[in-house]
Amino acid sequence: MNTELLIPLLAAAVVSGTPILYATLGEIITEKSGVLNLGVEGAMMMGCFTAFITAKLTGQPWLAFFAAGLAGLLTASLHGVICLVFQGNQVVSGLALTIFGAGLANYLGTPYIGLAAPGFSPVPIPGLAHIPVLGPILFNHDPLVYLSYLAPFAVGIFFRHSRFGLSLRSVGEFPAAALAAGLNATAYRWAGILAGGFFMGLGGAYLSLAYTHLWTNNLTAGRGWIAVALVIFAFWRPGRAVFGAYLFGGIMALQLRLQAGGTSLPSSLLLMLPYALTVAVLLFSCWRQGTRAPANLGVNIEPSS
Amino acid sequence: MPSTTPFIRLENLSKSFGKVRAIHHISLDIHRGQILALLGENGAGKSTLMSLLAGQLQPDSGSIFLNGEKVVLNSTEKAIHYGIGMVYQHFKLVENMNVLENIILGQSKNFWLRRSSLEAQVKELARNYGINLDLNAPIRGLSMGEKQQVEILKLLFRKSDLLIFDEPTAVLTPKEADNLFATMREMAAKDKAIVFISHKLEEVLSIADHIAILKQGEIIDRINPDAGLSPAELARRMVGRPVLLQVQRQEVEPRQTVLKVQNLSGNGLEHIELELRQGELLSLVGVAGNGQKALVETICGLQPPKEGSVRILGQDWHDFFADKQSESSLSYIPEDRQGLATCSGLDLLDNFLLTTRHGFTQGPWLHKQVAGEKLEKLLHDFDIRPPDAALRAWQLSGGNLQKLVLAREFYRKPRLIVAEQPTQGLDIAAAEEVWRLLLKAREQAGIILVTGDLAEALALSDRIGVMFRGHLVATMSRHDQASIDRIPQMMAGLNEEEHKQTQYEEVNP
Repeated sequence: MNTELLIPLLAAAVVSGTPILYATLGEIITEKSGVLNLGVEGAMMMGCFTAFITAKLTGQPWLAFFAAGLAGLLTASLHGVICLVFQGNQVVSGLALTIFGAGLANYLGTPYIGLAAPGFSPVPIPGLAHIPVLGPILFNHDPLVYLSYLAPFAVGIFFRHSRFGLSLRSVGEFPAAALAAGLNATAYRWAGILAGGFFMGLGGAYLSLAYTHLWTNNLTAGRGWIAVALVIFAFWRPGRAVFGAYLFGGIMALQLRLQAGGTSLPSSLLLMLPYALTVAVLLFSCWRQGTRAPANLGVNIEPSS
Repeated sequence: MPSTTPFIRLENLSKSFGKVRAIHHISLDIHRGQILALLGENGAGKSTLMSLLAGQLQPDSGSIFLNGEKVVLNSTEKAIHYGIGMVYQHFKLVENMNVLENIILGQSKNFWLRRSSLEAQVKELARNYGINLDLNAPIRGLSMGEKQQVEILKLLFRKSDLLIFDEPTAVLTPKEADNLFATMREMAAKDKAIVFISHKLEEVLSIADHIAILKQGEIIDRINPDAGLSPAELARRMVGRPVLLQVQRQEVEPRQTVLKVQNLSGNGLEHIELELRQGELLSLVGVAGNGQKALVETICGLQPPKEGSVRILGQDWHDFFADKQSESSLSYIPEDRQGLATCSGLDLLDNFLLTTRHGFTQGPWLHKQVAGEKLEKLLHDFDIRPPDAALRAWQLSGGNLQKLVLAREFYRKPRLIVAEQPTQGLDIAAAEEVWRLLLKAREQAGIILVTGDLAEALALSDRIGVMFRGHLVATMSRHDQASIDRIPQMMAGLNEEEHKQTQYEEVNP
């Protein structure tokens, strides 16, 4: 494949990887606090719709973007109520959240199917955009992509170098140690769930504000599940999530291009590619080393007697 | 000897769990610069007392004074705030983080962690107390002794004034224990208050400035180790004068041998020789951790004998446990009745069927109806309340749960019964019931009873064996009063000569 084809493909990989990157970061934050939230897809869908409708009504893309984060946060807060207040099963709650969020967003969005809303358009970064190869791949995108370049570093530094990040990680690893240090373990789990939900909502917003600019049913199309798998692929490290997200973005972009190019492969087979890759990635991650999941991931904190 | 206000003063603290009295009217002063040892058997109330200080439990009555002022310790944070820190037996460390991160967890005041300056502070602290640790090493690679040092540094870093150690040497090698004692002395010298909970007599004598002996929730003795007390005397005081328990007891003629242990060594055991016959109840007494656990686990098939032979009902250990049929003639009544003996979420019938399926099965199917009828009768016979087979195990009180375990095990008509601390945590009425059942079971089986309660051993046993450091020091008949009088010395590992030097007269009924 020559560079005229490859550069646009890689640029497209970045664009389609961005929503997955936001969602993966959200799930990493949640899981670092010891909570497994399988409702990523639901939170993304709610964010996706909220962004669309806010942009449509106000015409303000940035407002829409943050409203989507809040929608994700609120959706995830249901998970917090079930798992942290009522000690419910995290897997079941997360699955329910996916079904609920996707269903509600599709229902609310029915009147708007096919309608467009204002969103973000590419803003080449002066200077950087003209660097050969890298410029068009990385620096000729919309502002949300640029923001997503910073997010993994911010999250990583936050985990490693802030008091709050250290405490949050300790709650995911061994809540008893956090309690013995006088920390409120449940509060940190709430923080993990809500902040994670916020990022998932942002991931959803990207789809309706920048990726498509319009609303259709099931815009997320399983990207939430891919994010869950990517957390494992990334070994819970924000930096590695970037590679995973762009890898998936690349496969999605490639799949579109192959379809558009009129290949003889059946389209349903091509559509399956990202999900087949998900399975492969999970197998690879588990085979390469025993997972480095937070030790108490998915385990509720027993209320002290 | 400081005459000033004690750092912590406990006044008349009491705490009960249901009918069981965990601690009763305890008054205790804890001074800065001193090491106070709390000595007591399992179940004496040490951990309850500790949890009260750590803010995990609230006393039913009594008060706690800090520097002369009354305080209420109603949360862990509060205890930490007042400078009370605890080194738990099970470390509270995050395995996947490094030493520094564990120490500064929850301690930094700034939003950003200034690693280099924090690291310098911790280094300085460690050096002051003679602790040598790589602060960037992950916890999971450390030895038990090093992990304990991290726990100590955690407390020192948050400027705890009182450090409570819960059986700190239980997980340490002798060398590590020596290091720990050096650190403890260093901390006392730097005006920290140390409370050291243990049941190892010698280390208590060597390290403590004061010793308080706890027994059944009360402080029965306060000792100054400088008074030149021997471990034997300490053991005597710890065991106390056995209260004679009134238990109806009928002699049973011993019949064939059910257990023969010859020269059993390994797993901490040293040349154990032991024979048990049907109709006999043999008590094993000793300070906890002197090999009782290993002996019980070997007899019950949880770990194979390393050296020597164990013959159960005439069969070699390996043959006995290879044969499912004969295995059913052994009953193990573990110390941990809620964990090892029963499943708390299952109903009584399922718990009954856990070990007792014989006669209730047909191919892969269980005859629950038949078993249910049988259990109804047992619930009635053993007076288990409430007598409802549909209840979950956790809904039963400790005494009733223990009776259910006994009912289940005795129903199998075992020939050899091994019971570990069967009355621990039970109130006196429930304990008496358990004693009665054990004595009755003796008619068809040989029984080994592991107990920390000498009174219980004296009341029930036909013979008593004393364990110390993996040795079965002696076994004696219940009628051998002269030997029984020496049990406390034997528990402390003292031989005949030293016994003769002690001038205390035993007072015994």
